[in-house]
Amino acid sequence: MTAKNIIELQGIEKRFGKFVAVSNLDLNLREGEFFSLLGPSGCGKTTALRMIAGFQEPTAGRVIIDGQDMDGIPANARPTNMVFQSYAIFPHLNVGNNVAYGLRNRGISKSEIEARVTEALEMVELGGLQARGATELSGGQRQRVALARALVMRPKVLLLDEPLSALDKKLREQMQFEMRHLQQELGITFVMVTHDQYEAMTMSDRIGVMFDGRLVQVDEPPTLYAKPCNKEIASFIGEMNFLPAQVNGDKDKGLTISTPCFGTMEIEKNPNVEQTGREIEIGIRPEQLEIAAEEPEGYDGTVQGKIRDVAFYGENVHYHVQVDGVERPIAASVPNYFHTVDHRPGDAVWLGVQSASVIDLGQNQSKPQ
Amino acid sequence: MTRPSGLAIYAFLYLVFLYLPVLFLPLFSFNSGTIVAFPIKGWTLDWYRQLGGEETLIQALMNSMIVGVVTALLATSMGLFAARAYVRYRFRGKKASEGLVMLPLVIPGIIVASSMLVLFISIGIKPSLTAVTLGHTFLALPFSVSIMKSAFDDFDPSLEEAAFDLGSSVFETFRRVTLPIVAPGIVASLLVTFTVSFDEFVLAFFLSGNQPTLPVYIWSQIRFPAKLPNTLALGSLLLLASVALLVLAEYFRRRSTKSTI
Repeated sequence: MTAKNIIELQGIEKRFGKFVAVSNLDLNLREGEFFSLLGPSGCGKTTALRMIAGFQEPTAGRVIIDGQDMDGIPANARPTNMVFQSYAIFPHLNVGNNVAYGLRNRGISKSEIEARVTEALEMVELGGLQARGATELSGGQRQRVALARALVMRPKVLLLDEPLSALDKKLREQMQFEMRHLQQELGITFVMVTHDQYEAMTMSDRIGVMFDGRLVQVDEPPTLYAKPCNKEIASFIGEMNFLPAQVNGDKDKGLTISTPCFGTMEIEKNPNVEQTGREIEIGIRPEQLEIAAEEPEGYDGTVQGKIRDVAFYGENVHYHVQVDGVERPIAASVPNYFHTVDHRPGDAVWLGVQSASVIDLGQNQSKPQ
Repeated sequence: MTRPSGLAIYAFLYLVFLYLPVLFLPLFSFNSGTIVAFPIKGWTLDWYRQLGGEETLIQALMNSMIVGVVTALLATSMGLFAARAYVRYRFRGKKASEGLVMLPLVIPGIIVASSMLVLFISIGIKPSLTAVTLGHTFLALPFSVSIMKSAFDDFDPSLEEAAFDLGSSVFETFRRVTLPIVAPGIVASLLVTFTVSFDEFVLAFFLSGNQPTLPVYIWSQIRFPAKLPNTLALGSLLLLASVALLVLAEYFRRRSTKSTI
């Protein structure tokens, strides 16, 4: 499958005075994909989205949507529509008129407007609520109206600015699935801005991670999780234990490293990082660690330590294990199969890890200890 | 929480001191005697009845109405655009211009009035209702700007962006989204600026020439003791109308801040 690029951002830059909000952003979005721009607040992701929408003009670079250069084309003439963070439901109009708002700008016949509004509302499961006042809606309903109002325009790209951040946790999780289904049914490209890594991972085909105005990595969620291109991303997405390591051998796709606590290991090279020098940093996800009272068998690396803290999450139990020779306690997370916390603070335990779970993060940037 | 009762007594006396004199006006307007002093001789509505026959009064009332309506329209439309700019945009000299717009609230009226008289005569505008209207617009502007600012404060900027994004032009966005949402604020501003103009005396006295507004007319009548009860009756009606307008304005102002959650 070779989908065409619906959006091409070529060397986009946005400055506000001396402040560089977005710098040298190159990104191609495929038709029909669900793409998320993920990053902490102030990283420039919303500015990037607003440049696609046409609310902001890039200082440099080009925005191309469906093969057409958008330079000088304002937001009201672009084939994109936006779902705003605040939803921006017109308070003086009822649900039906909110959804019909954009269609009325296009000189479409009254009966067709009515039919399309009905269809759009049914799509977001608000069928029959046309006459409901905008101020009488719940948070979830407002979000659905905002979606319907944008989708009824049949945009080539739907832009979503933190669309779920105003909802409570339960509703947010439900909407994540609904929006994903909607996107797959319609086949419209969705571009979502979010600071919530779980939201991005559950909904997206691909994620672009931004820090300080730079697009750092673009990958599918599992790759992003397994092969982050630097420590910043590794710690932003999910939890990660960081350890220093020394490279003793380097061949093709593998590295032989010695670690401060798990001994010597053969690990896979991370293609997303540059290989330089002998001092590297490795990462291990907490859920990749085995924790046991006796030394576990069949692991590539094991170490003994002492439980410092236990956090019971329900579905998981988190342990912080203090290990000699490692400054920060190592986090290990195990699924809660038997509804019990097996280890208590102060208990001596063993940690085990497979070398396949050790992530190479490239040259060690932190100060030597 | 209980407050010391001393404060309550203080607050009560404070309000009595402020508003008791105002209440004498309607009280004596029903007094059948012509001397404004206790004891009240008897009750009558004659003074109110006689108002209808005063032609110069009706003319002055019309003058005030015209000036008030035009002032309200001018000040409110200027205030609407100024407030939107103050709330939405950051620009050089914003703080300074916001301060300047509010200045008429603190400049002594007599200074404004005499300097405007000099200015208007020097640029060829004779004392007239036009001159009064211009002066009143200047005075009313701070009121309309601050009312419209509070209307725009609660106005989510994404609403305008959403309308624009859905294909409206800038003008259509203003007409179909901005205007309806700030409409209660506009009504509040119209009512308040009208009241400001309607009650204003000093500027009108200097600038009205031979076309007196109602307050100027009242002042001219006060010199004739026999006319005093009529003036009191007229003043009471004005008081009632002003309070009614301001209450109405406040109602609309609150609606404007409530409508955009």
